[in-house]
Amino acid sequence: MDNSGKEKEATALMAEAEKKVKSSQSFFGSLFGGSSKMEDACDLYGRAANMFKMAKNWSASGNAFSQAALLHLQMQSKHDAATNFIDAGNAFKKSDPQEAINCLNRAIEIYTDMGRFTIAAKHHVTIAEIYETELVDIDKAIAHYEQAADYYKGEESTSSANKCLLKVATYAAQLEQYPKATEIYEQVATHAMDSTLLKYSAKDYFFKAALCHFCVDMLNAKLAVQKYEEMFPAFSDSRECKLVKKLLDAFEEQNVDAYTDAVKEYDTISRLDQWLTTMLLCIKKSLQDDESDLR
Amino acid sequence: MSSDFEAYEQDFGTLTAEITNKIGRIPKLAGEEKTQLVLNVDKQLEEVRELLEQMDLEIREIPIQSRGMYNSRLKSYKQEMEKLEKDFKRSRIAYSDEVRNELLGDGASSSESQLIKLREERAHLLDNTERLERSSRRLEAGYQIAVETEQVGQEILTNLHIDREKIQRSRDRLRETDANLGKSSRILTGMLRRIIQNRILVFILGAILLLTIVLAIYFNLRGQ
Repeated sequence: MDNSGKEKEATALMAEAEKKVKSSQSFFGSLFGGSSKMEDACDLYGRAANMFKMAKNWSASGNAFSQAALLHLQMQSKHDAATNFIDAGNAFKKSDPQEAINCLNRAIEIYTDMGRFTIAAKHHVTIAEIYETELVDIDKAIAHYEQAADYYKGEESTSSANKCLLKVATYAAQLEQYPKATEIYEQVATHAMDSTLLKYSAKDYFFKAALCHFCVDMLNAKLAVQKYEEMFPAFSDSRECKLVKKLLDAFEEQNVDAYTDAVKEYDTISRLDQWLTTMLLCIKKSLQDDESDLR
Repeated sequence: MSSDFEAYEQDFGTLTAEITNKIGRIPKLAGEEKTQLVLNVDKQLEEVRELLEQMDLEIREIPIQSRGMYNSRLKSYKQEMEKLEKDFKRSRIAYSDEVRNELLGDGASSSESQLIKLREERAHLLDNTERLERSSRRLEAGYQIAVETEQVGQEILTNLHIDREKIQRSRDRLRETDANLGKSSRILTGMLRRIIQNRILVFILGAILLLTIVLAIYFNLRGQ
């Protein structure tokens, strides 16, 4: 009851704002304080959009915000335009993902123009998340995550960059782009080794890198594991390293049972998540193929 | 009266102690000694019975009010004596068990006790094994929790690192903003100064103009 009232108010405000814009574009309007009329119109659009939000009419709200942003662009206030585009994107996220992505892209253009790369990176991450969840398009998601990581690196926030890179690596490994994933994991792991805060996660990254090596070629994996042990002595004590060594041995002997046993043993202590299970399954399949080839 | 009763009680006590002692010894003996002991115990039991009868007579002579306590004591003594008689009979029968054991030799008796011992040991060991298994299960659960805690800790640390960078960036930006604000305030003061200068100039020029006009009119009037 309240909501429909708000909607009517909001539509009334939108109509008023449009009238103001039109009038300011006519001859007399531009003579007599045309810019203040435009500002008023922007304000009206903003209020209308907020009311649409209260009424949960997300697409109308997004539209209102986009209109406000375009007006700001005309008035050459880039900051305000970008903020309004972001608001529009957030509103569209709930109803029309594609439209949301458009708005966010425009906002990112404005920010990169102004040189605010950190915020642009943050919004790249948002777009990538939309691609991950709503429109399941992993390639585009990867592209946006990479772009975000580059911007973050440019702004010297390596940790945020690493966060994005890790997501890239996870998806790359799932799409079987193993060299890329391995490189990313090694890079992140070497960086983590040195920091006091991050060194406890380093062994996890080395483990994932070793698995990616394994999917490609067993010898690679062996050399890699040795290299990691040299670089980072604490790695050899971890259960993950022991598991990898057991898997290598099982692979050499072409023994599927030993492989399964080692994996089961590791699973009893700490559950294997989705990504790990996929990778280990892939390696197991290649092991079984080799076995059947030899026979 | 009561002192007699007490004397009887004391005798009763000593006799029953002796009887119990002898009854304890009977099963272990055999032959002559045993028969002797049995006769002894018999005689002592007779004496005890006579004592109890005397105690009964004593009680009848006491007035009825104070009889209650002595009556209850007498009852307990009678019960004790009956128990002694039963023990005595049992100890005489126990004789046959001893001999039987001798006949069948150490094998039979110890095989039974051995079985019992083995069963006990088995139960004991099973108990121990169960305890060990319980402890190992608990240790494993503890280890799992420790590993999970470690993973949670890793995540938290990465988040902290990211936040740290954010805070550092904000601090730098804040310093920049501070410097910019300082600059703009200086520019504004400069502008203010220039405005004041301009105004003073305007007033001075206006004053000179006024003066020139006044002088011009004055000279004109003088010239006329």
